[in-house]
Amino acid sequence: MDPAVDIENLVKVFRPQFGGRPLRAVDRVSITIQPGEVYGLIGPNGSGKSTTMKALLGLVAPSSGTCRIFGADSLEVDSREQVGFLPENPYFYKHLSGAETLRFYGKLCGLRGRSLESRVDELLDLVDLESARDRRLGGYSKGMLQRIGLAQALVQEPRLVILDEPTAGVDPIGSRQIRDLIFALKKRGITVFLCSHLLEQVQEVCDRVGIIFRGRMIREGQLDELLAIEDQTELILKDASPELLEKINRLVAESGGGEMIRSGRPRTTLERLFLRETTDRKN
Amino acid sequence: MGSPNRPLNPRRIAVLAVNTFTQLVRMKVFYFLGIFFVIAIAANFLDLPTHSAPESAGIGVLYAIKNTCIGLMSMFSLVLAIVATGLLLPKDAEDRTLYTILAKPVPRLDYLLGKLLGITALILVSLLVMDLLMTAILTVRTNQVVESQQQMGEAMGYSTEMMAQVEQETRALGPSWNLQGAVAVVFMRSVVMASVALLLSTFSTSTLFTAIVGFLVLFVGFFQADAREFYFSGTGMLGRLGSAVMSIVLPDLQIYNVIDAVIEGKLLTAASLLKVAAVTLFYFVLYTFASWLIFSRKEF
Repeated sequence: MDPAVDIENLVKVFRPQFGGRPLRAVDRVSITIQPGEVYGLIGPNGSGKSTTMKALLGLVAPSSGTCRIFGADSLEVDSREQVGFLPENPYFYKHLSGAETLRFYGKLCGLRGRSLESRVDELLDLVDLESARDRRLGGYSKGMLQRIGLAQALVQEPRLVILDEPTAGVDPIGSRQIRDLIFALKKRGITVFLCSHLLEQVQEVCDRVGIIFRGRMIREGQLDELLAIEDQTELILKDASPELLEKINRLVAESGGGEMIRSGRPRTTLERLFLRETTDRKN
Repeated sequence: MGSPNRPLNPRRIAVLAVNTFTQLVRMKVFYFLGIFFVIAIAANFLDLPTHSAPESAGIGVLYAIKNTCIGLMSMFSLVLAIVATGLLLPKDAEDRTLYTILAKPVPRLDYLLGKLLGITALILVSLLVMDLLMTAILTVRTNQVVESQQQMGEAMGYSTEMMAQVEQETRALGPSWNLQGAVAVVFMRSVVMASVALLLSTFSTSTLFTAIVGFLVLFVGFFQADAREFYFSGTGMLGRLGSAVMSIVLPDLQIYNVIDAVIEGKLLTAASLLKVAAVTLFYFVLYTFASWLIFSRKEF
């Protein structure tokens, strides 16, 4: 079976129009994503994440190397049959309503008639925009725009979804909705290739992660393997008495082979606290 | 059966064209029709000047209405062709809407054609509305002129044959298929300018640049036949080549001057109309092809 994404030794050099030094935005990057995987590409601004994605979508031509989607060359229009793309901070046609936007993109993918209408309804329901279906996008909030963007990316039921900073500028509630949608895609076996600055979110949703820096892939692998600290072990106890903790500390000290680095109450994240206090209260 | 993702898929082009048309309509570009309406109605209220003979009574007003309406049609259609075409492409790229469209199985040629046809459809609808209004005003006004000529003729003792001759000549200056041909030429000229603006917008970085250069091309287009005559006549093979290159790179718009002849009451033959249509098709295909050559290699 062909990989969902197969980027091989991708190099992209931008040459300024009127002389000046060429910029090597992507330098021999190789990424393979198997069908059904959620892959996160992380890196600082200007590290080459978006250029890699654009090369995969045929929006920029590689200086050398190849990009393939389910075996089809990215420069061929056919390769986009199986892809949905949500760019960073998307602005769709403001003159269209949510439903019209999905109809427009659906028609571009060859959908027609009743199948298109039912797909539009299904997607508006999926991204929780049913109540705003006839409102023009000019009146949508940033989070709503991201969600309608995700819906348009899914309109032709693609097998691969590419998300460029899907939660940029979105509040934590909107951000969690998008995260939940990514989980839903994963559950349906759709391959997701995302790049984000929000490392915690990447950590939550991705199976594999690549770290790109100055155009080069510097680390890549299964998230669990990358994050595990080889020489440490974590114990989480519930309702442990001070006596029991004292006993454990003593045992560790007596064993001579280990060292207790930290003990105390585990903390939640600020995001989780915010969500608990806002969303849960709303419910 | 061919792949549905091959270029020139009529359904996909129609989807893009309808979207472009809707976008421009919702940007309220039809408001200019209000201005046309006011000016055309105002032209109708020009007083009939007094004349010594019925054959010249009121003729000037009919010329004025045609001149005003066709002039406004030309201006609006050319401004729309250059500005709207120059606006839409860079706007799509700036808003990244273009990314989401090209990330779908949409060949770049289909995208360009969809945009261009959407704009030309808008120009066509605008011209049809303006044409309808002009024809209505001209019909009313021609009847008034004929009526006043008959009254004057009767008072001056003109024979029935003479009056019939005067009426025929006057009605020839009113609404006619000839005039509809002139409106078709106005449309074809704007199609050429829209394809020029499309070509400019594939490499320009701003709408302002496209608009300025577009209007310059328009200006040069009106005079380039004279310029070719001046610079290249009698310069041999090289001169003929230079002349040919100039008329390809910049559209020769003098052929569209048949509009002025129609306003003056001259006949627009089917042969001239076909010639104008052929030249329009040539420029449309040439500039769209050149736009595609640039746009297909463009990176975003």
